[in-house]
Amino acid sequence: MATDYVDAGVAVDNSALSHLTGSAPPVVKGVTYDRILNARSEPHNWLTYYGAYDGQRYSPLDQINKENVKRLAPQWVFQAGSVGLHSGKSTYSFEASPIVVDGVMFVSGWDGWVWALDARNGDLLWQYRHAIPFDVSLCCGNVNRGVAVAQGMVFVVTLNAHIIALDAETGKKVWDQTYGDVRAGESATVAPLIVKDMVIVGSSGGEFGNRGHSDAFKLETGERVWRTYMVPKPGEPGSETWPDDGEAWQRGGGNCWVTPTYDPDLNLIYYGTGNPCPDFDGAVREGDNLHTDSGVAIDADSGEIKAHFQYTPHDLWDYDSTMEHILFDLDGQKLAAHFDKNGFMYILDRTNMQPVRVAPFVDRIDWGEVDEKGNVTPKIYPDAEGDPVHFWPGPAGAKEWTHACYNPNTELLYCPVQDVGATATRRRRDFKESIPYWGAGVAVDLEDMAGSISAFDPRTGAERWRWSNDIPMCSSLLTTGGGLVFGGEPTGEFNALDAESGDLLYQFQCGSGHHSSPCSYSVDGRQYIAVPTGWGAWTEGFLPGMLGARQGSALFVFALPED
Amino acid sequence: MSPTAQTGVVDVADLDRQNGTTLGRILGRGTVGQAEEGSDGKMRATVRIPEDELVFEPGIIVIPHGGELELTLINDDKNTHCAVLPSNGDYQFIWLVNHSKGKANLTLDGPGYYWYGSRTGNDEGRGLTAAIVVQGDAPGEAKIDRPPQPQP
Repeated sequence: MATDYVDAGVAVDNSALSHLTGSAPPVVKGVTYDRILNARSEPHNWLTYYGAYDGQRYSPLDQINKENVKRLAPQWVFQAGSVGLHSGKSTYSFEASPIVVDGVMFVSGWDGWVWALDARNGDLLWQYRHAIPFDVSLCCGNVNRGVAVAQGMVFVVTLNAHIIALDAETGKKVWDQTYGDVRAGESATVAPLIVKDMVIVGSSGGEFGNRGHSDAFKLETGERVWRTYMVPKPGEPGSETWPDDGEAWQRGGGNCWVTPTYDPDLNLIYYGTGNPCPDFDGAVREGDNLHTDSGVAIDADSGEIKAHFQYTPHDLWDYDSTMEHILFDLDGQKLAAHFDKNGFMYILDRTNMQPVRVAPFVDRIDWGEVDEKGNVTPKIYPDAEGDPVHFWPGPAGAKEWTHACYNPNTELLYCPVQDVGATATRRRRDFKESIPYWGAGVAVDLEDMAGSISAFDPRTGAERWRWSNDIPMCSSLLTTGGGLVFGGEPTGEFNALDAESGDLLYQFQCGSGHHSSPCSYSVDGRQYIAVPTGWGAWTEGFLPGMLGARQGSALFVFALPED
Repeated sequence: MSPTAQTGVVDVADLDRQNGTTLGRILGRGTVGQAEEGSDGKMRATVRIPEDELVFEPGIIVIPHGGELELTLINDDKNTHCAVLPSNGDYQFIWLVNHSKGKANLTLDGPGYYWYGSRTGNDEGRGLTAAIVVQGDAPGEAKIDRPPQPQP
């Protein structure tokens, strides 16, 4: 006998079945461009990706210092986990830098997650999850590097190349714009940057042969302001560095998958751009291939490229230059510091992007030579089809995307260093949209590797000290007014070093490797250090010797005991 | 003993049922259903959980573009299941007791596809994992400025 169905009702938000508050205090309403400009004047907050526009990753907070850091202890842990079958199930990694505004933390996870947390105790205030297609193209794992906040909203990109604005009090979506083509292999992982009344984002997908770009949108409406391609079309400045009888520029790469820094006085946004495509087969793209592997200064209002310096012309080693340009003034000079994948540290005049000083920052470099002006002489590279070629640094670089920092008190730069090589064997292939386009088979060394946190004097390029590790270091560093440098290890340890000597002062095992960006903030006068942990991403590319290490999904927050 | 164990030959149909070659039904099987688009712009589709099959049927729902999907879920089984479904904003959860019927309102981007499943016990592994396929393209203003490229 047929019976009526039981009414199961309407599906509800997962959040309704969890112990979360559902709203956050209206702390972001008052976050304006002027406040972000002066972010370091409110050191209790971490208002923008690098803490301030200059990318120094320096917190003036000094409650935690060299003398007392040994008493540091975890205060709370936020565990994220995962649900169901999602994209990049084996490559998710917690890579964000948290943002903190007046006691509220905003942090993104992999796979479309954004969380608002009480920064004092880790209570979940609200959560948002953008549904990410399972089949989205991800060269380097299911990751997201963080959010931006301003004018009552939280901004985040999604793996399927949307930029969305959320209400910072509720986590509800305000606007949503698509800025990449997932059918072309594009994705998005970058933490947005607020500049004036715009939110700035960039493309990911450099292993799929797309044409990298940065995009600016109006904060309030999501209306596009400009798009700038990093690879010129025929006839545009720089197009002479591409074959004029081919299609190479169309697939040229130069993606913008790391947050830029910004000089408000010069009104210049400093991007590092990604590798050319195909990564290792240069014969199909003769020429220098501008503006790949470059530091590019673009006008904030128009997006126009004003100056550039190319670190690795005609790259054959996958040496992206996406990593940050740290802005600082020294001896009356406006400088930018950049640690490139190719193993060299560049101190540039940031008014014109010309090198002031170039020096190696890793022990083993044999791919080529770079002189003090930045001129490159290639030595070892994949050339003949099918011929294996070993070179240092490998394609993950002597420094990965994770960030260096600068302490204005010590006037030193601190860099996470990776010393690992790789073998590439050129294998030409035809380009097909959305299919990986490397032009080689690549195996990164499983043994004979090392790493360090190294301190450098930007005046001379000389290494001041080195804290050595038996495996590469690949998490961002944080330096503080307490004279400390913080950084995590791939094996899970979170370390505090003396910024002047490099001595290890504190260590805590977080249970999973670090591949993220720590920050510092304070609430009610108590200083905290926050660090997401969770090993994963493209481990096969930067540290395959740790491919089998434990994944994780926890954010740890440390402080001194209240007594 | 399953037919495969007896003959050593795996029949695809024997992967598509409970306690055949495998313990459950392997993922990605079942029929394909198409959502209908209403005059209000909302897309609508229905999936069922047949008795003792531990699957959503159709196993694949296709919607023509990103947008709102009203999915009706019917549990014809004599056991209780549920569904955790993707949607922009948050996962959507619905409890489906024996012989029940409910709805989920989903907002999804296209193109691409999404898995959903029943998170009770290991329903997902036994076969209660199904897909929503969203057709379409990125909007023109999001596409890369270049001529059409060779396709795979």
